[in-house]
Amino acid sequence: MGNFGLLLDGFQIALTPTHIAIMVIGVLLGLVVGVLPGLGAPNGVSLLIPLTFSMDPVSAIILLASMYWGALFGGSTTSILFNIPGEPSSVATTFDGYPMARGGQATRALTLAFMSAGTGALVGVIVITLLSSWAADFALRFGAPEYFAVYFLAFCAFIGMGSAWPGKTAVSLLLGLALSSVGMDTITGSLRLTFGLSELIGGISFLVVVIGLFGIGEILMTVQHGLKFRGVSSRVDLRDVFRTIAELPRYYLTLVRSCLVGAWMGITPGGPTAASFMSYGIARQWSRKGKVFGTGRPEGIVAPEAADHSAGTCAMLPMLALGVPSSATAAVMMGGLMIWGLTPGPMLFTTKPDFVWGLIASMYVANIVAVILVLATVPMFAALLRIPFAIIGPMIVAVCFVGAYTVSSATFDLWLVLAFGIVGYLFNKLDYPIAPLVLAMVLGHKAENAFHQSMILSDGSVLVFWSNPLVGTIMTLALALVILPQLVRLASRWKRDQAEPLGD
Amino acid sequence: MVIRRFHMELFVAGLTALAGAVTTFGSLELGVGWTESGPEPGYFPFYIGLLLAVLGLYNGAHAAIAKRGDAELFVEKRHAIRLARFGGPMAAFVVVTILLGLYVGTALYLFYVAWRQGGYRPLLSALIGVGFSLALFAVFELTFKVPLLKGPLEPLFGIY
Repeated sequence: MGNFGLLLDGFQIALTPTHIAIMVIGVLLGLVVGVLPGLGAPNGVSLLIPLTFSMDPVSAIILLASMYWGALFGGSTTSILFNIPGEPSSVATTFDGYPMARGGQATRALTLAFMSAGTGALVGVIVITLLSSWAADFALRFGAPEYFAVYFLAFCAFIGMGSAWPGKTAVSLLLGLALSSVGMDTITGSLRLTFGLSELIGGISFLVVVIGLFGIGEILMTVQHGLKFRGVSSRVDLRDVFRTIAELPRYYLTLVRSCLVGAWMGITPGGPTAASFMSYGIARQWSRKGKVFGTGRPEGIVAPEAADHSAGTCAMLPMLALGVPSSATAAVMMGGLMIWGLTPGPMLFTTKPDFVWGLIASMYVANIVAVILVLATVPMFAALLRIPFAIIGPMIVAVCFVGAYTVSSATFDLWLVLAFGIVGYLFNKLDYPIAPLVLAMVLGHKAENAFHQSMILSDGSVLVFWSNPLVGTIMTLALALVILPQLVRLASRWKRDQAEPLGD
Repeated sequence: MVIRRFHMELFVAGLTALAGAVTTFGSLELGVGWTESGPEPGYFPFYIGLLLAVLGLYNGAHAAIAKRGDAELFVEKRHAIRLARFGGPMAAFVVVTILLGLYVGTALYLFYVAWRQGGYRPLLSALIGVGFSLALFAVFELTFKVPLLKGPLEPLFGIY
């Protein structure tokens, strides 16, 4: 019951008027970011971090986390009303959400989405509440080799479990690691890979890279596709809201299943995007009316939304307890924690219980705040998208560059944003995943330090990573995650080649 | 010449391999071996770079053999035009910003795009640009006390 007491303490922190006001601001900013194309959750959080430097860490993390919840909700809103996913993780919501809204049931679609998203988030927070202390205790036993093994596992999981071609995921990861090693080396104090450029001595900030890759890269994609806003009416009828809430228990099976899928994908590095697609796929397979999915089925909205939010919330668990984020946004937040001088990981639970439990309690409150706010403000935010792109587009670009400048007041960073914007566009076009690059940049130093320490422990032998059952299991699991899917693919191709001559 | 996705696959694979090679050679200068106190500073980036170079080449070779995207256009012409119309002013915005500061750069950028591409009257466009710049000033300089990049023009208004 220790957790419960700590959670109550957390509520005392989260329920102060200041923090509730911060949640409202965070959620509203998140909604803006989620609704506008080119501004996503990872990018929005990156833009906000420089403004939190002078804030108290608890307030700062509540602000960033609330912004994340708001962005998740905002993404669903545009998916349903405009058929434009504001976030990659709400793509699956467009499949049934937009057809339902176009059929004149916009309020029903929105309410279904928000309520199942809220439920998913709630399940996610409960999972965090129950597991976080346990996970942190477990992680206290970790030494340097175990830490490196966990980072390695996170990297390998991206390669093995991601939907992109493994070679491209690996390149994205390695590029992130290489970028993180630019600048002053924290161990030896020597300058690395600066090639005589004084601008690179301080290293390349991951915030600047995220703003370029996600912000400018995404808006270039949006421009290329062209914006055709054929939005449906965004009026919300309160009676429809309550009628839909009463309807929700009918989909309890889909809801429970999707929350579990989301929780699993959130804790492991699958992330919200994969979770929402997977959950939608499962719902379609299980439904006896599978054929009519894509025409506005309620389950087709409930499934991806619940999984998306459950995964987004659960991604905070490994970030807090192990210091290993499992989504791009969690990675950016973790980078923020490190900038504020906090070390994510098990020690955080013993040294800063106020911070950890204040954050967890705030997740309960902020998600309820978010559901209410989003229902109340949908028409307002939908109007944002009706602003002509010739006005809103340059504003988004300007905000991205301003945000990048505030990171360290360097004009060189403006060039970096432009360069990484082009990289982000090319990567998007050619299906190179971007999240692994961000994760690798944030974890790069920690992974390298853990690797160095392990190597010093063992005098340069990689066998240290198999020196005890715990680290050995993690390392073997990591390698299996990369190798097994390749073997399965090769085997199925071999089988197909064998079968082909007979098929002629 | 028509750029196919195939060409871009090769180009980006080559670019990542090049980044790997640069990292590898940069690390070599730092020493990639062992000393008594542990690995030398170039140890970790050296292997990262090497692996990156190898995988970049592998991706390139894979795309070349599988002829991945050979039939697919990288960007259609009308898309490329749209991108250029958007990207051009954006690049100009960065140059102007570095010369004149973020406030002036933002105001000019918004003014230009709203006027030339949005089809708004010059006066309204200028109002949009200046208004947004002032909003940025209010949020960053006044509320959060975060100074943004200023150029030679702000001191004329007494802002430093």
